[in-house]
Amino acid sequence: MTALATLEQQARTTRNKQIALALLLLALLIMPLGTQVADQTWVTDSRLFQFTQVFMLIALASNWNLTGGFIGYVDFGHAVFFGLGAYATGVMMTNQHSIQWPFWSAVIVGAIVAAIFAVMIGFPTLRLKGPYFSIAMLGTFVAMREIIRVSKPVTGGGVGLTLPPYLNRALFYYLTLGLAVAIIMFVWWIRRSEFGSSLIAIREDEVGAEMRGINTTLHKITIFVIAGFLTGIVGGMWAYQNTFIDPDVVFVDSRTIDLVMMTMLGGLGTVAGPVVGAAAIYWLRDVVWAAFFDWHLMIQGSLLIGIVLFVPTGLVGLFRRNGSGTTLQSLWGRYFGTRAEHPNEPGPGEDGPIEGAQP
Amino acid sequence: MTMDTAPLLEGRGVTKRFGGLVAVDSVDFAVYPGEVVGLIGPNGSGKTTLLDCLSRVQSIDEGRVFFKGTEITKLKPHNVAHLGMSRTFQVIRVYRKLTVLENMLVSRQWRGESLLSQLSPSHPDTEARARKLVDFLTLEHLVDSPAGTLSGGQRRLLELGMAMMPDPELILLDEAASGVNPTLVETIKDRIRTLNIDEGVSFLVVEHDMRFISDMCNRVYVLNFGEKLAEGTPSEVIENEAVIEAYFGA
Repeated sequence: MTALATLEQQARTTRNKQIALALLLLALLIMPLGTQVADQTWVTDSRLFQFTQVFMLIALASNWNLTGGFIGYVDFGHAVFFGLGAYATGVMMTNQHSIQWPFWSAVIVGAIVAAIFAVMIGFPTLRLKGPYFSIAMLGTFVAMREIIRVSKPVTGGGVGLTLPPYLNRALFYYLTLGLAVAIIMFVWWIRRSEFGSSLIAIREDEVGAEMRGINTTLHKITIFVIAGFLTGIVGGMWAYQNTFIDPDVVFVDSRTIDLVMMTMLGGLGTVAGPVVGAAAIYWLRDVVWAAFFDWHLMIQGSLLIGIVLFVPTGLVGLFRRNGSGTTLQSLWGRYFGTRAEHPNEPGPGEDGPIEGAQP
Repeated sequence: MTMDTAPLLEGRGVTKRFGGLVAVDSVDFAVYPGEVVGLIGPNGSGKTTLLDCLSRVQSIDEGRVFFKGTEITKLKPHNVAHLGMSRTFQVIRVYRKLTVLENMLVSRQWRGESLLSQLSPSHPDTEARARKLVDFLTLEHLVDSPAGTLSGGQRRLLELGMAMMPDPELILLDEAASGVNPTLVETIKDRIRTLNIDEGVSFLVVEHDMRFISDMCNRVYVLNFGEKLAEGTPSEVIENEAVIEAYFGA
């Protein structure tokens, strides 16, 4: 294939992707109108609620991906920002002592509180590497849950807070859809930028990146704070939608693990990965839960192990082209037939050939 | 090259300890503008540790280091890079998941750049420079390949290109020919010579291959057990009794 033909094919593929995305977005935008056209349609309030949950998960997984996927700092306590956003929003909206803030300003306060906490906790923890960072963040998450629990005068403690109800499914649907789309576009923009390339460089080799002039501390803190801020917004929205928050509902242990699983299933460090992963896990969980209630957690765990072992690039990576074909074709060839792939391409988890290396 | 001018890089009494082990012991040295200086010594003599101290990967316990007259003893590594010093590594450090071109782009000069100015894709001039260097290093056919798929020798060349990308005045090369086939070694030598003669880039080269040192270097420092054992031209050093004893235990 000539270079010109390759370029033409790439342009055609990009155009097709853009058209498909535009159609998908259009379908999502008009979907809530389905509740208006007839009493019995596929689009119900319950269905809108499901989509709202998926949009929130997409936003959360994309935020987690900024630290876990882009700079390679696997954050097992990321839900602390979700919790802080939720609680700060809840506290501002239910203030017993002065004016009760409206949702729009309260959610911004929630995001700012989460961002400030990200600065405070990021400076000490981002000095740690690998599992030490992960465990430090997990400890932060657990500690914050207890701090919220004992701060009864402000947070309501174990009794929790009840927010003013506003049960408009369509509004939340559009709010969360808008947030998810905005975050996806933001992550896409970051990935294309020099800043994004620097983040990937930090993930690949932090010492090398620092030696080559990248201020790694500043980059890490910046992306960590951005991720905290955006997660705080999602937390605030979730609190308002849920209308009730207490430490055990907000600071759920499995929340961060879910985000890790979603991002890994979709594709760590990619823009589309968390989107695909969050949607797939949400609906897969529904199906598995309904069909195999007693076994659903074991099936989910097995799925995660399978992803790590066999598809470390995630679902998105399966369809990414490398040389003569996609990774899916390479894997198929490896396990079921001849191997058709880039001559120099290493397999998942393999090193490339080292020319002249000592035996 | 002239030793009448001020040194480009100067170390005064550089000392580095790891617990009770003195890895680098009061070493004085200088690299002058336009020079290619060799740093040799037996395994464990402290060559890489000294390079790490100079580029601030390691902190220095005693002594001072100056680059272009500015003291860099306490600077962060990225600040040293901004001043115009870059380096390669004994164990190759390229960004495996990024393509050759992306590796080059992300190694550009970042001096004085705010984060806000980095929120756009690479400037066309930066990309043009990266592509020119990729061509110069004979890697043009691999420009869109992930660095992880390159051979060891190709990665060495890429790492040299990444060190050249910010247009430095001094490059520290740590065993640039290690594990590379003879043909590529000649390519690396040729590119270093071109950069040194045509663009005036200075080099401090750590290398075990004495032919590489003899071919490339104006002056050589010899380290042994962390101390400076000898210095001089390559031929002077090769004939030095103390050096022969350190290498061969004569």
